[in-house]
Amino acid sequence: MFRINLNKVIMLGISLYLISISLLAKEIKGEVKDSQGNPIPFATISSSEGRGVVADERGRFEIQFGGTECKLQVQAMGFRPQTVTAELEGEFLSIVLQEAIAALDEVVITGNFEAQSARQSVYQVRSIGRETIEKRAAGNIQEVLNTELGIRFSQDNALGASNLEMLGMSGQNVKVLIDGIPMVGRQGVSNEININQIDINQIEKIEIIEGPMSVMYGADALAGVINIITKKPVSTKGYNISARIQEETVGNSYAPFLGAGNHIQSIQGQYRTGGAWSMGASFTQNRFGGWKGSFTGRQFEWLPKNQNMGTAFLGFQKGNWEVDYSLDMLEETVFSFGPENRIENIDREFQTQRYMHRFQARLDASEKFKASLQAAYTDYTRETVTWITNQRTAEKSLSKAPDAQSTLQYNGFTLRATGLWSISKAFNLQPGIDINTENGIGDRISSNEGIQDYAIFLSSEISVKDKLKIRPGLRRTYNSAYEAPPIIPSINTKLTLGKRLDLRAAYAKGFRAPSIRELYFDFFDASHSIQGNPDLRAETSHSFNASLNLERSKDKKIQYGAVLTGFYNIVNDQIAYSIDPTDPRITTLFNVEEFKTMGATFNQRFSFRDWNANLGFARIGRYNRISSESLVLPEMLYSNEFNANVDYRIKRIDTYISLYYKYTGALPGFEMTSSSDGELSPRPIQIDGFHWMDLTLRRDFGKSLQVQTGVRNLMNLTNIQSTATSGGAHGGGPQRPMGYGRSYFLGITYQLSK
Amino acid sequence: MNKLTNLKMGVLALLAAGTFTACAEDNDPVVEIPPVEDAFMEINGGGSTFPNMAFVKLSNEKQTTVTRESWDLAFSNNSEFKVLINGTTGAMAYETEMTSFEELETGYIENLKTSGTLVLDFNNMNSILYVDDPKNPIQNGTALGTIGSSESEARVFVYQRGNSGVEDRDWHKIKVFRSGERYVLQFAPVSSNEITTVEIAKTQDFNFVYYSLDQGSVEVEPKKENWDFVWTAGTSSTPFPQATNGTLGYFFQDLVYHNIYGGVEASMVLETDIAYDNFDEADLTSISFNSNDRLVIGSSWRAGGGPNSSPSTREDRYYLIKDTQMNVYKLRFLSLTSGGERGRPSLEYALVKVGS
Repeated sequence: MFRINLNKVIMLGISLYLISISLLAKEIKGEVKDSQGNPIPFATISSSEGRGVVADERGRFEIQFGGTECKLQVQAMGFRPQTVTAELEGEFLSIVLQEAIAALDEVVITGNFEAQSARQSVYQVRSIGRETIEKRAAGNIQEVLNTELGIRFSQDNALGASNLEMLGMSGQNVKVLIDGIPMVGRQGVSNEININQIDINQIEKIEIIEGPMSVMYGADALAGVINIITKKPVSTKGYNISARIQEETVGNSYAPFLGAGNHIQSIQGQYRTGGAWSMGASFTQNRFGGWKGSFTGRQFEWLPKNQNMGTAFLGFQKGNWEVDYSLDMLEETVFSFGPENRIENIDREFQTQRYMHRFQARLDASEKFKASLQAAYTDYTRETVTWITNQRTAEKSLSKAPDAQSTLQYNGFTLRATGLWSISKAFNLQPGIDINTENGIGDRISSNEGIQDYAIFLSSEISVKDKLKIRPGLRRTYNSAYEAPPIIPSINTKLTLGKRLDLRAAYAKGFRAPSIRELYFDFFDASHSIQGNPDLRAETSHSFNASLNLERSKDKKIQYGAVLTGFYNIVNDQIAYSIDPTDPRITTLFNVEEFKTMGATFNQRFSFRDWNANLGFARIGRYNRISSESLVLPEMLYSNEFNANVDYRIKRIDTYISLYYKYTGALPGFEMTSSSDGELSPRPIQIDGFHWMDLTLRRDFGKSLQVQTGVRNLMNLTNIQSTATSGGAHGGGPQRPMGYGRSYFLGITYQLSK
Repeated sequence: MNKLTNLKMGVLALLAAGTFTACAEDNDPVVEIPPVEDAFMEINGGGSTFPNMAFVKLSNEKQTTVTRESWDLAFSNNSEFKVLINGTTGAMAYETEMTSFEELETGYIENLKTSGTLVLDFNNMNSILYVDDPKNPIQNGTALGTIGSSESEARVFVYQRGNSGVEDRDWHKIKVFRSGERYVLQFAPVSSNEITTVEIAKTQDFNFVYYSLDQGSVEVEPKKENWDFVWTAGTSSTPFPQATNGTLGYFFQDLVYHNIYGGVEASMVLETDIAYDNFDEADLTSISFNSNDRLVIGSSWRAGGGPNSSPSTREDRYYLIKDTQMNVYKLRFLSLTSGGERGRPSLEYALVKVGS
């Protein structure tokens, strides 16, 4: 028989309690709620003694203090900060936060030493939080970003990958970071990252900065930066486990849990000890069954894909030290089935493996000086495996044809140290060093010594009477493989024009490094003569950005915010394929072109009771490369984008209905055409515009269970038409894949925490 | 050692062949070998670098292979005077306005090289002007054009010998004109004026007399009644709105030309019209055979592949071939590869009608 001796338990409890009083400081508990009495999850509570905790998702927190009384500052995104005073041991504080006038006042980190209010940042940052990601029930980042203004995706269905373009500039100019550390992809470090090779379930927030961030992040941050902020363990003692399962049709094809359709399974857990340690782990499996489209046999227009993604995290925090290690693992196989054949079928698999180890340390030496160190090593391997299946014997064997089996491997190492030296309230210095090395080996990559890049940078933030913030910056770079611009300057300013009106203006020089592929990739066969150019210089740019940010509200229930931005970029020495003048048979890369983009975006946000809406418009101009050859052609070609998101909460049944819509306007262009007498003349071409719409419903059952359902690609979009002919055999022809038709999903997320 | 062995084997083979033919002639001069009823054939294209032209005769199941770069010019043996350049290496010829080699300066050649005029790729919008007509060069036009009737009137051409799937070789300047019923060919490397002059006489057994600038006269095609089609790589064209006449000269692998100049005819049939397995002699009445477009089979038997599909045979069609003995075969391609390797396609065929 087992019997609990209640007295003993009580005695034990009391003595533990007494011990804790004598050993530790006083402890108070509390709960953070909004004015309606709903808990506010993840509020941050910082004490005047320098301690800080984050409330759990029920708004509960515990904090200790030593002195007789303690001032606590309580902050949460979308709410006005509030200061309360705690005095009594064991007190239970019920803190009610007032909603901020506009919920726009979120916290951003990109470009800054540490997280700060988006309003305070000199950078205009767009951020997409977990709330949005969850509402969209997204399976990958593309499904979140495809209705964002200024972002266009193009699908490379031969490889089952997608590339993005930002404000008229290709993905090569967009630096993709994970927690501030550059990613490695098929083209080398931070070049054209396939953004869908990142586990969406591990993302806390996506921050997008338009305009160059070359001073802070170095090469390739020319069009902008996409910084993916991953989830971190809860800030108080306890654990958090969540599991997600989602079933989705791919167009009209679906089979439960395997094969046709899209299947997402994810589990993750985080734990923090009462002491210094925190840890977390996750595993996600995506099974994309592919989409046949116009194919009837074995082939797929959208290739089937398996992704396994895992992460692990271990953190240690003591005093003013914080150290953590994390591992991100990706294993992806894309299946390219060949056509049905009477003799033998040829199937290919593209297998990608990526291991990214990250180590971060932070020291808050004093109020005046803080330092952080990040080191990361990424091992990226991409293998092409070709299988032959003999149709008579059903025997499967590896193809022995040349190039049928190939491997591409990149290793990237990053070491980044930054400091924040607050000399006074109005003046700080942020020095940093950045070391990046990269190696690439592959069947078609000529032997090379890798790329080593060393940089130091310094920026400073000067505040003038809380009205004006000026942030100048400089970066000095040395690169072993290509000629990098020696000095990169930038200046960002923010002027507070009114209580809720901010103007930001910035100039920056940016540069894009030639990738390992561009430097060393050689490909010769009967119909290809492509050669890398090891003498390439970096592309450089001058960028001017301005934005006006307005927030207004009649009362707490009605809010309005608007952001108007304008940008102008001139890119020099743009790297482009061209014919080698010394040997016209060879196509190689040169720093030949000038490129420009200019445009404006206008984004408005409305909030009224349980309604939230976003309306945006963008007009993006791209330089018409052919205009230099013909004076009658316009120099810039514009395309328009319009997006609208509407979100309504049916409070009675705890359900959100969200609609996401974007119209991406036609992309105009010109190409040279040869007439019958061999005379070249320009011809207008365009890629058609298209509409994209997603409708999602989310219902919360208590705190731990969420059900999401909805329709993706409501407009049933598949391909869009292009009238372009250039680009030869691989130009994709007149059809550009954009979607695989209307798809339906149903997902469940379960969370358990203590 | 190895060479010696090969040589020995060659000699032995020749001897053996000689003996055989000798015997055949002596003992049984009129052996009527019936045409092959049906067969499976893997074409010996030489593998992934597709070095060979493979001439196929269906009725005796015979392949004759020769490397694509073994010749440069083909002189027509029919009544007209026409000369083909070697499309199977992607050769191109540019007509200058000069009539003598001495006038052609190195600067002229350099300009031609750097401008990319004689490069066969997607960057050259005018390439179609410098290659032979892909369908029927004799009838529709050749890069070398009308052959001048005298030395003084004939123009000098700059000849790029082709570098598609073969090693690049020195450009040459060439000049071809008539001398009675013969051709006269003059050529020299572009860097020299050491002119070689050769006379070429027509021979009636073959469609063309083949000539290599390195080797002189070479045998490429079997006698004209001894082949039905040739599998090779070669210059064809592809629609391209930006290019001259909307057509771009483009180098294809896996082209099949039927022997139009030897009198072989071909036709394509879709499975949906009459299934391959069901096709028999009675169905021939509905078929019209083609004898003036060697691209009837061309590249139509395979799908070229694209951004998300690999090249493959088209299973929705098959072909009929009427050979010079009036045998009619139905033929379908089975595979573009062997063990995953291009350059070894396979096909099967069956006799539909016995000729005379």
